[in-house]
Amino acid sequence: MTTTYVDLDVRPILIAGGEPFGDIMAAVEKLEPGQGLRLIASFKPVPLFSVLGKRGFDHSERDIGDGDWEVLFTPTGAAAAAPAPAPAATATGTGDWPAPVVSNDYRDLPPPEPMQKVIADIEAAAPGDVVSALLCRKPPILIPELEALGHAWHGDFEDGGESYRIFIRKKAD
Amino acid sequence: MIGATLSRWTMSFFSVALVALIVALVLMAAGTGYPSEGIADAGSLIVVHVTAIGWLSLLMCGALLQFLPVLVAHTLYSDALAWPALLALVVGLVALVLAFLQFGGILQTQVPYFAAAAVLLIAGFGLILWNLGATLLAAEDVPLPVWFVIAGLVAAVFTVGLGAVFATALGGGQAAWLVTLTAAGIPLHAIAGLGGWLTFTAMGVSYRLLAMFMLSPELKRQSTRIALVLGAAALAVAVVGGIVVVLANGNLMLALTAALVLAVGALVPYGMDVVFLYRKRRRPVIELNSRMAGVALANLAALAVLVVVLAVFGQLGNQAGAVVFFAAFGWLTGLGLSQLFKIVAFMTWLETYGPVMGRMPTPRVQDLVVEKRALKWFWTYHAGTWAATLALLFGLAIPFRICVVVMLAGTLGLVAQFLRTRRLLDIDAAKRLPEGTRQPQLFVSNAAKPA
Repeated sequence: MTTTYVDLDVRPILIAGGEPFGDIMAAVEKLEPGQGLRLIASFKPVPLFSVLGKRGFDHSERDIGDGDWEVLFTPTGAAAAAPAPAPAATATGTGDWPAPVVSNDYRDLPPPEPMQKVIADIEAAAPGDVVSALLCRKPPILIPELEALGHAWHGDFEDGGESYRIFIRKKAD
Repeated sequence: MIGATLSRWTMSFFSVALVALIVALVLMAAGTGYPSEGIADAGSLIVVHVTAIGWLSLLMCGALLQFLPVLVAHTLYSDALAWPALLALVVGLVALVLAFLQFGGILQTQVPYFAAAAVLLIAGFGLILWNLGATLLAAEDVPLPVWFVIAGLVAAVFTVGLGAVFATALGGGQAAWLVTLTAAGIPLHAIAGLGGWLTFTAMGVSYRLLAMFMLSPELKRQSTRIALVLGAAALAVAVVGGIVVVLANGNLMLALTAALVLAVGALVPYGMDVVFLYRKRRRPVIELNSRMAGVALANLAALAVLVVVLAVFGQLGNQAGAVVFFAAFGWLTGLGLSQLFKIVAFMTWLETYGPVMGRMPTPRVQDLVVEKRALKWFWTYHAGTWAATLALLFGLAIPFRICVVVMLAGTLGLVAQFLRTRRLLDIDAAKRLPEGTRQPQLFVSNAAKPA
């Protein structure tokens, strides 16, 4: 079966200083079974690879010049993750987590602002929602605080260890 | 509720430490100790120990109680063990000062102050080591900078151990090895304390604090490993080797020269790492804490050059006072004050605004300090320190005391800034304490209670 791709160019949003994550996820939601997404962005959207990977998309990217990237997200046929009840507060078992409702890049903020922003993101989310953030290191103070607050979390290094992507699932009420 | 990672007693350690710093500077300004007195006279010993134990060690202990758990991503073994340690260290230091007064013939009593000081200081440092050691043992991962801290803690054991040996000998111990070690072991005690415990630990902590506040990448460099290995080797040769050489009546100069070569070999890759951290930072503007840490790090480089030059010209023994002074005040105190400026603000922010974080707008950590005002006190302190070091090198006792007064002025100016930060005085009164927050106490941190 030949995959057809829906095109989405988020460069205008990025140039305007906006956050394209919502538009990208909305476009993904609208895809027909078997359809893929052709994304054009003014940077290599590494965070999306793991987010959409969890939704059953492979990615292949190429540099199209001027710092712009074209990424093809192709469905692998794997089932898209479905929302599931919030698991216990551990750092494991994120396979059944829903896609993040927000995903922000806080790598350029001085401490403790990334922690403050992540906590605010969690506050704004509904119980069971997942929020995600890109940080410049594994957050040494945030993680114990999350555990004390009872939220589940999962994180991994990206960019060869230069960034840390954390996913937090807000605890159920 | 945020506050799971706040060390309750760190602020108490910092407060007592700053009082000790002020006391040490006042004593020096008043002409107590070297160069007005001999370097081994009671006054000098008092000034050195008030500085090394009262100021630098308490500062380091307080900082480690807060940051070692952060460095190894594991909670502190016990918050409750911290205050008895502080108490034992402070009372132990007072006993030591009284013991030196007794030793100098100024205090005429038969009270065994040396023995009391040894017992209390061993207890105090022992409690700290127990607390930090148990935290380390429970940690899953020990990153490279923490190995510097571990080496520093081992050096602390040797420093305290040698100190206890001296105290036993000066308190009347007659065993031959006690007397031999006490006669020749002072440089080893100083190297283990200033070079091992304080400098090596500060190097380890600096890696992480610089990276954290400038948003620099985590170091996984070969140079860090080389600095660690050569530095630990330098300490082992100087301290362990030195003790063996002294007891065997060998050539101590040879061991210390070998250690110096190794130490310089460790400082070069450390310097490269530090330059890397500053260059690769994500934050375009370097905040005052990291700028002033840069001055202290430059002082460390200058100290290394000074030591090598003095050693080459055979003047290291004559100028030990100037070297120890510049190590304690140019490098260690310079770094300590620069980091306190940020840590006090950071901990105060976390304590005050952590409970409402993310739920309402709060002031930023930067709003708790006024960099421009602190800057002049930092430069006052450093200018005084440089001039005082030169005065020592040229043996000028009165100019030295005047320079120490300048250092004292800078220190008092900075302490006033820390108090303002702790009191949230630099925040607009209307925004200072939003609903759900409360004014932190000056000397103790209150971790937020679970709601």
